[in-house]
Formats: sequence, structure tokens, C-alpha cells
Amino acid sequence: MRDALRALRRAGAALAASGPTLETQAPAPDPPRLQRAEPFEGDAVRVVPVDGDPLVGIAAFLDGIQQSRVLAHGPGGVPLVHGTVAASVRRRRDRTLVSWRDDATRIARALFVPRAAIGETAWDALGAVCAVRDTLEPRERGPWHPQDLTARALSAVQRRREAFETACAELWCAAGDGPLFVDGGIAGAGAAAHSPLAIGVVKSHRTLYVDGETVSLVLNLREGERTTAFTVTSPRRAPVASWYLRLRDPTSHDALWGLVRVEVALDGANAERANLVSRWLLAERSPVALPDPRWGAMAYGIRLTEEYLRAVTQ
Amino acid sequence: MTLGRVVATERKPNTPHEFHFWTALDAPVGIGTIVRVEGPATNDGRLVTVYGVVVEGFSYTDLQTPLHDVLGADGDPAAAVRAPTDRTEIRLYTAHSLRHVPDEPLQPVPMGCVHLATDDDIAIALRMDAYLREDQRTGIPIGVYRSGATQSPIYLDADFLLGPEAAHLNISGVSGLATKTSAVEWLLGSIFAHFPTQKGSVAAVCFNVKGPDLCFLDQPNDRLDDADRALYEAMGVPAEPFKDVQYFAPWTARGHALATLRSNAALADNVHPLTWGLREVLQYAEVLLNKDDVDAKADALIDFIRERVVNQEFSDALLPRAHTVRSFADLEQWFRDVLRGMEGHNAETWRTHHVATIRKVRNRLTNISTRCRGLVTDDGTANDLPWGAFRDRAVYVIDVAASEEDAQDLIFARIVSQLREQLERRTLGVDHVIVFVDELNKYAPSDGPDTYVRQMLLDIAERGRYLGLVLFAAQQFRSQVHRRVIGNCGTALFGRMDMDELATPGYATLAPATRIKLSTLDKGQLMVRHPHFAQPVFVRFPRPAVLGGRDGVERFPAEPEPSLDIAVTRTLRTLDPSVTLEWVKQAIVAAPEDDVLRARNRTLQARPDDVKAYFRAQFRTRAASEPVSVRPPSLPLAGAGDEDPYGF
Repeated sequence: MRDALRALRRAGAALAASGPTLETQAPAPDPPRLQRAEPFEGDAVRVVPVDGDPLVGIAAFLDGIQQSRVLAHGPGGVPLVHGTVAASVRRRRDRTLVSWRDDATRIARALFVPRAAIGETAWDALGAVCAVRDTLEPRERGPWHPQDLTARALSAVQRRREAFETACAELWCAAGDGPLFVDGGIAGAGAAAHSPLAIGVVKSHRTLYVDGETVSLVLNLREGERTTAFTVTSPRRAPVASWYLRLRDPTSHDALWGLVRVEVALDGANAERANLVSRWLLAERSPVALPDPRWGAMAYGIRLTEEYLRAVTQ
Repeated sequence: MTLGRVVATERKPNTPHEFHFWTALDAPVGIGTIVRVEGPATNDGRLVTVYGVVVEGFSYTDLQTPLHDVLGADGDPAAAVRAPTDRTEIRLYTAHSLRHVPDEPLQPVPMGCVHLATDDDIAIALRMDAYLREDQRTGIPIGVYRSGATQSPIYLDADFLLGPEAAHLNISGVSGLATKTSAVEWLLGSIFAHFPTQKGSVAAVCFNVKGPDLCFLDQPNDRLDDADRALYEAMGVPAEPFKDVQYFAPWTARGHALATLRSNAALADNVHPLTWGLREVLQYAEVLLNKDDVDAKADALIDFIRERVVNQEFSDALLPRAHTVRSFADLEQWFRDVLRGMEGHNAETWRTHHVATIRKVRNRLTNISTRCRGLVTDDGTANDLPWGAFRDRAVYVIDVAASEEDAQDLIFARIVSQLREQLERRTLGVDHVIVFVDELNKYAPSDGPDTYVRQMLLDIAERGRYLGLVLFAAQQFRSQVHRRVIGNCGTALFGRMDMDELATPGYATLAPATRIKLSTLDKGQLMVRHPHFAQPVFVRFPRPAVLGGRDGVERFPAEPEPSLDIAVTRTLRTLDPSVTLEWVKQAIVAAPEDDVLRARNRTLQARPDDVKAYFRAQFRTRAASEPVSVRPPSLPLAGAGDEDPYGF
């Protein structure tokens, strides 16, 4: 970082005042929407209680973090963004999360800059002292809105983080020895999307994969209930089997509180597996992930993994 | 093996004297553990090593409030136990620096790896390396420091324990938990085993002030277990009782037996009476006379008696005859003649002393033999410690447990004064003497009147180390002892302490966790402060190799005070085993009890070759030498002729 700052000064960039990370000031994502999904378990989406007590089955947790800041502004107000991304698989041993293997924790720091916008001289100067990643498509030409460049940088950081998460997930699915709790979906996780070991748990619900009357079924799920499974498909992602699961009683909270959407590989997915995976996830409700504000849907193992990544990246 | 890692935050920064480190949950670290910090190499290539002792420990999780745990477990504690993942927990310790290597420049402790201290580390950390060198070894083992697999003997520096650099030892701890007496018994054994020969000879004088505590120092302790023996072996101290112990005790008030719980006939060989006559007592009369009694006038008269009357022939026109005062009985006779002479001459003063002063001093002095009956003899017979013949590595126990407070004070004052004088003159027989006093808060209290005994203790504490006179003192409440006595003790041992005592200001320098550890110490554990140690260190010492007081009185029960003839028989048998009860009965028949006791005491004092003859001779001598009491002549009435026996 110090080297990058020196290089930026030499390149004539104006250093930016330190402020909040880009992640906290990101523009609003796509508007919430409903999207119908094809039922996979039966003919229609129904509500079923999870059969059996919570069961400890998760062997490891995967999460990633990212942090971006505008470090300086180049000529013409071009934002030069410093991004830190990390992802890690933390294995559970004797009720404690520990590092699994060295390459299961990935950390990278780089300057995310629009190469065409800053010019080759500055690009080379920065590249000589630190890792630099281009935020533009090849042969893309300006002019650009500065905020658009910032958004592209943020997007590049996010892609980098997702790439790390995918690499870690694939590593576990190739060499791990038990179910992997993945924070977020697995549809974009490469080979992991087809592995019986990867279990994606999605906490945010900008898109609800139901429509019509089934919306109320999901919103009225009670603690320990799930929907039947459906198939989630996306153009650039692998199809996965998915279902909604209510982890905690939402009374006195909003209807999405304590609700997660589970993703597993389509191969081998069936009602029995959906029930078993749901029991595993219900077991992860304790201990609670407080003080994280997302504790209603967040597993403590994921919180610990995030804390671990924050510790090793600071 | 790396044990932990130093951490510092803005809120909890490290200083040169204090640092923080975290460890794994199962790391063998606790309050009192000694650790070594290896800092990174500095720019000039120096490696900084810091040694520290853990004084505080913290543990916490990522919980912000206990309610979160309740919430997560749905209010069921058992559910919390079943959680698949344990909450992240930290063990964070605070340590106080023992030593920096190199010493300069003294900087905050670096962020480095923390290791359990090895034997060599401990020697460096506690600066013991300076006095454990082969050629100049002055280490005295005080106990074993234990942490994990480490068992390292801890040594005190003899130069700082017995002088001349520093000296004196103070022991604090609640009663009954093998702290004070046991620690002293152990430490004396250690000193006797390790005190360097080039430093001279050493003996101990122990005042047994309560029960049978020190009454069996020459008897083995059969309660020693393998762990104790291992500790003795680790520290190179023989697990055996003291080889040379001599006991001294005053007689009981009746005088038939010595006032000690070591009265079993099987142990009588080395038990000696402690009796003093006028000469021995008068020198310390101030001990028994309070300031209300002794004003300047009385003091002057006492000085006069001491200088001009005692142990010399004294004549005066006032007196009907010359007096040689050698005993309280002689002194009483002298006073009687002086007062009678003054009355006869109708004089209010004699040699500038007013009659009231003379009466007061007579009352107070002659009263001593009553107040200290058993210790002070009327006839001047004295049985004393072997002044001038103290032996190296010998223990002299003065049993004052059964004595009245006045007698205790007198015994203490005179013996300590004698020790000081003889050490000063180098005539005692040994170069160093350890004086052990229990219940120091009674003899040198922080408040109350300024007594002779307290002054004496202050004097030892402040100047004794130059003479080789070393005070080992113990008490339950250190806060109640005069701070100059405490302050002059170079070494301090602490056993289990009372929480109220620990709340007093004297313990404010200890970390809270250290104070709590002090209040929960096991038997045989001590916290040690020593001039070489930058911080207190916890050690474990073995059970003493000597028979404990309670066990001793069970194995050697105290015998009831015998009849006169049996008492005399037992005493004389220690000098001549052929003495029988029948012989004694015949020898003392018709003799008054006081005469019999006097004869016994004189025989004991003289230790003649022919005990029987000497004993019998005492009665004849007394009968021959005792002046016939002559009634004072009646004053003739005027007009009566001398030759008229009926004349009135």
C-alpha cells in the first residue's frame, strides 16, 4: 500500500481523503423481484416440516470478504481503487474452527484501475510497485463517468472475491471430507456447483424464487419448516436444487427474518437429502452469530470465518 | 515450544515492566508462570529477550452480552453445550517483567513469541545466575517452581538472606496451613545443607511461643511421601531431622518439671532448664518494669544496685553488716537492712535515694522472682544457653510457650541481647545466628506502647545483618507488624493469606489475581519475595523432615508434672543413670521442698562427676552456711540492769 501510494504521488495522482469503504456506499442493487422456479420435489412448491432433530453434519465453512477504497484520483478524476479480497475454508475440529490447509485461505490486495483511462505510463509505474488489475474490458475506450469507473472497480473486486471463493469451494469439493457450508449460492461456484459436498446458504432475498400464492407459503414458513425443493437456473450459472428454510421464529421481525435459501447440486438432490441438509443447517443456529446484525440467518461458523478473514487481512 | 504471542493495543499497551500475551486455551500457563519472550532482531542485530511472570489472566469470547448466549440456547444451558461450534475464546495474560536481556536500553516489551521458561531461563530471569556460579555459589534452595513439565529449584542468595548485603526473613500466612512453622523448619534445613562453608558457621535460636510447634525438631517425620522426597532430592537437602538440637525451658511454677510439652522421658536427653538469677535478670530489669514504674529516680537506684551492690561486697554505715548480693534472696535481705537502717536513723533519704523510691524499687525487683517463677531463681542459680560454645548447624529451641508474658519478654530480651553482644565480640562460637520468632505482631506491633522487646526487634532488623544476627519472623497479619521491622526484611514468604489481610494497603502492589491466588494457596506453597527477584515467585516446598508438633505430642505424650522425688530422680538421671527413686527419697527425706529443688538446680548447673555426692552435699552445705537467724536485740528499758533478767 505504501509503495502504491508513493507510485501514485509520483504519477501525479491526488490522494483521496480516507472515507468509508466502497462496499458501504455501493449503489442500490437491482430492485426486489419475484421469479418463478420449476418445482423439483413434487409438482408444486409446498411447505413441509423438517423431519427429525437438528443434526450436526457440516464439516467446514466457506466465506469470503472484500474491502475497497478509493485511494487516489488520477488525472481527469479517474478513481484508483485499492481492493482487498480474501476467502477461506475453515474446518471444524473438536467444535473449533481451524485452518484446513494453506491454499484454502486466499488473500489478495491490488489496485483496481482503468488501464485505458490512466494511460500506459502510469499503469507501468503502478505495476512496478504493486499488483494492478484492469477494471475495463479489453479495447474499451472512454470517456467514462467517474462513478461508472468506481462501480466497475467495485465490480472487479467482487469478481475477484467470488473467484477466490470458487477456488476454495472447488478445493474442498476435491479434497474435503464432509459437507461444506458455503455462505451464498453455489450456482456460480464452478465445479462445486455439482459436488454433493457443497451446500450454499443464501441469506439475502432480493429475488424470491416463487410467484403467485406460493409467495405467502414462503413468507409464512414457521421455524423448522421448509419448502419443497425447486430448480434455480441462470444463464451463466449451473442449475441447482434449492429450497427455503426458516431457521428462526420471525415473530416481531420482518417476514424474511431467519429465512435462508439453500442450494445443493442438482445431482443426487431429493426430498430426503433436502431434509437431511435442513437438519444440518438447523443445528448451526447455535451459537447465535450475534452481534452480527444478520444473525437471524447467519451461522456462527460463517461469522467466525469472516472474523478470521478480517483478522488476517488487517 | 511456543506458548503464546505478545499483543498490545492502544488501550492495553505494553510497557518495559508489563506486557500482555495470548495463548492456546490448553496452554500450561497460570498465575505465577514464568515465561520468556523472544523479540524480533532489532535493526542493529540485537536480540531482545524479556523474562516475565504472569500476574493476571483474562478469558472472554466474542459475546457482547450474556443474553446472546441465552438467546442462542433458547434459555436451555444444556442446549448451549450441544452447540456444534464453541464460541471463540481467548486466554489473555498479563505478565510483569522480571528481566530484560540486554538490560539497556530498557524499552517496552516487543511483540514476540512467548515460551515457557526453562531451568536456565528461570536462573536468568530471577538473576540467580549471579549466585549459582560454581566458584561463588551462595544459593539456598527455598522451593521448587513448577509449571507444566518444568520443575526448577529456586534459590535465595545467602548473602541477602543471612547478610551482609541484606538479611532477615518474614513469613506471613494464616495459621494451621503449614506455612510459617513448616516453612521455617524446611528453610533451616536447607540453610544448614547449603550455607557455604566459606561464609562461616551458622546456628539457629528458635523461640517456641505456642504449643508443641518446635518441640520435635530432632525427630523424623514419617509422613514424608515420595513427592516430598523428590523435592528434597531436587534441591539437594537431606530429608532428615536436625542432628544437633538443644531445648531450653524454664521450670514450672512448682519447679518439679520443665514447662514444655517436650516432657516425655524418652526425649529428656537434650532438654535443659533455663533459669536465671539476680545477676542475669537485673541487667534487663527494664523489660519487666514499665515506664510508669521506673522514673528517673528509680532508674538511678536500679543502676546503683547494679553497679555497686550486686556481686560485690557492699558495706555502709547504715547497714548492720556487709552484704554480698548474689540472689533475689540476698537482695531482699539487703533492702530490708537498708530500710530498717533508715528507719533507725529516722532518715528519709539514703545516698540521695528517697525512702519511697527505695520501697518502690524493692517492691518491683523482688516481685520479679514471683512474676517469673520457674525462670528466675531466688538463690541465684542459673542454667543458661551455652554462651561461647554455640555449635555450627545446631538449633537451640527456647520453649516459652508455657511461660507468662513477662517471662517471655525477659527471655527474649536477654537471649537476643546476649547473642548480639557475643556476635559483636565474636565469642559466641558461630558466625551467624538465625533467631526465629513467631507471632511477631505480638512482639513488634505496628501500634501500641514502645516496649523494650519491640525496640530490640527493631535493632536486630536494622543492624543485625552486620553482626550476623538474622531475624526470621512469622506472623499471621503482616499489616499489624511494625513497618520498620517488615521493611528491613530482605526476603518475605507468603503462604495462604486471609482476604481481609490482603485488602490492606501493604498488598496493593500485587495484581488482583496474585492476591486471590495468595488466598487460595495449597499447603506447601509459598510466594517468595527476594531482593534478586524483580517480582514475587510462587514455589512449592516439601513437608518438613521433622516431626510436627501435633504428631510429636501423640507419639511422645507430655508427662504430667511428677511428685518431687520423681522429678528429682528424673533430672539427676540425666547426669547419672545410676540414680534411683529410692536413693533420692532417702537423700531428700526431711528436707524442705525449696531446698531439694535448690540442690537439684545446683547439681544440674555444676554437672559434677559424682552426682550423688554433690547433691547430698548441697543439703549439708546449706545447713552449715545458712546464717542462724538472730532476733534483733530488744531495746533495754531505761533503768533496767543488764544482769536482771526479769527487770522491766
